[in-house]
Order: sequence, then C-alpha cells, then structure tokens
Amino acid sequence: MDDDDVVFRALADPTRRHLLDQLYERDGRTLSALVDEQPEMTRFGVMKHLRVLEGAGLVATRRSGREKLHFLNPVPVRLIHDRWISKYAERHVSALAELKTEMEESA
Amino acid sequence: MSAAITIPPATTQVYQVFIRATPEQIWEAITNPDFTEKYFHGARTEYTGGRRVSKGPDGQLYADEAVLEFDPPRRLVHGWRSLYSPELAAEPTSRVTWEIAPQDGGFCLLTVVHDKLEGAPRTAENVSGEGWMMVLSGLKTLVETGTPMAD
Repeated sequence: MDDDDVVFRALADPTRRHLLDQLYERDGRTLSALVDEQPEMTRFGVMKHLRVLEGAGLVATRRSGREKLHFLNPVPVRLIHDRWISKYAERHVSALAELKTEMEESA
Repeated sequence: MSAAITIPPATTQVYQVFIRATPEQIWEAITNPDFTEKYFHGARTEYTGGRRVSKGPDGQLYADEAVLEFDPPRRLVHGWRSLYSPELAAEPTSRVTWEIAPQDGGFCLLTVVHDKLEGAPRTAENVSGEGWMMVLSGLKTLVETGTPMAD
C-alpha cells in the first residue's frame, strides 16, 4: 500500500488542512462541533472531507458513549517527513522556515 | 505564527499506523524487550506478573505500572507513569491502549490511545507529537524491515 499518494492528496485541499488545524487546536471533536466552526460549509461537505482525511489515516475516530469523536493522527505526516523531508536537506529547509518565521514576525 | 506552541496537549491522544505484518509479529514487537529496546527510546519493556516494567539502557526504571488487559494478539491496556523524570513521575497514572486490527491485504492497523491524561499535563506534553510518533514509526520500520530506524 503506498499511503503517500493518499496523504498528499488529502493534504492538497485547503479545507481539509483547516480541519486538521482545528483538531490540532482541540482534539477529539464531534462532527457537529467541527461543522459549527465552518459556517460556510454544509454538514455533508464537512463529512465528505473528514472521510477523505480518515481514508488517508490523518483523522482517527473513536466512540465515546453515543458520540463519535475525531482525532488528529499525526503519524502519516511523520512518515512523510521521514521519507521526504529528512532525506532531502532538512537542515536547509528548517533554516529557511526559521527565516520565514522571523521575517513574518517582525513584519 | 508560533501561536501553536501555547495550545495545551490533548488529554486523549490517538495515534494510528498501518503496518505490513501479522498481528502476532506486531504483538511480539510490543511485548518482547529485545524488540522494544530497538524502537522505544532504548527501553526494555516486559509484561510479567500483571505489571508492565520498562528499564532504560543502564537498567534504570522507566516504568512500572499495572497491566489492565492482556489479550494477545489484539489488545493491550496498561497504566502509564514516566519514572524517568521526577516531574513526570509526580503526576497521576494515565492509560495506554494498544489495538491491533488486521486489514485486507496482509496489513494491520495499529492504534495507540493514550488517555486519562487530565491530571497529567506535563506527561501529555511529553508524549504528544514526537513522542508516540517516533515510537510508532520506529516500530513500523523495525517490524517491516527487521532493522531499526536510522537516526
């Protein structure tokens, strides 16, 4: 199974990246809680995106009583990091990322 | 933007990884100290007498908590308290659940849930992100390739 394709495809969409950021801020949320924070999207739309994220392993769901909770699963990102980032010049990348952060903060 | 740093770590953390191996192989990697020392920060972890005892490279005690469920090769639940740091050891015991679910095509989905972290914010911070991710990606590499992940 080449999971990388699925993960890259899932991450290629801004709405899905936004959903991941929301779970990063507060993990273990219900669909309704996530829908509430996307006023511009229908419940169905959020569900569809969550399903893609789940399929890529980026979101894991657990049942808690009657609720289905969504958790950010960072492992696929780590695996992509191991495979694609650390291999190619991690040092340069982090130096550039730091420079960008510094410049944005002082701007 | 560095605002992310101030976000408190979750009190329930879920980690999942697909591993190309049988449930038995994965169970072995979790419960055999000869395997754990190759991916779990060098710690040798043993499950004996209803306890999970983990020791560091020099024999120092990393963990000694109750095993709550031991159901090979599917489910393992144990307490978690990090004895390698006095600050973390002072926090109440949290809980770790390992689940191995066979998938089609010779894969298993390994899920680790670390919860009951409400009273243990420093432990939650310590194990979050890099902590469990390093362990799980290391376990995956070891089981799939037979050799530990390179540093």
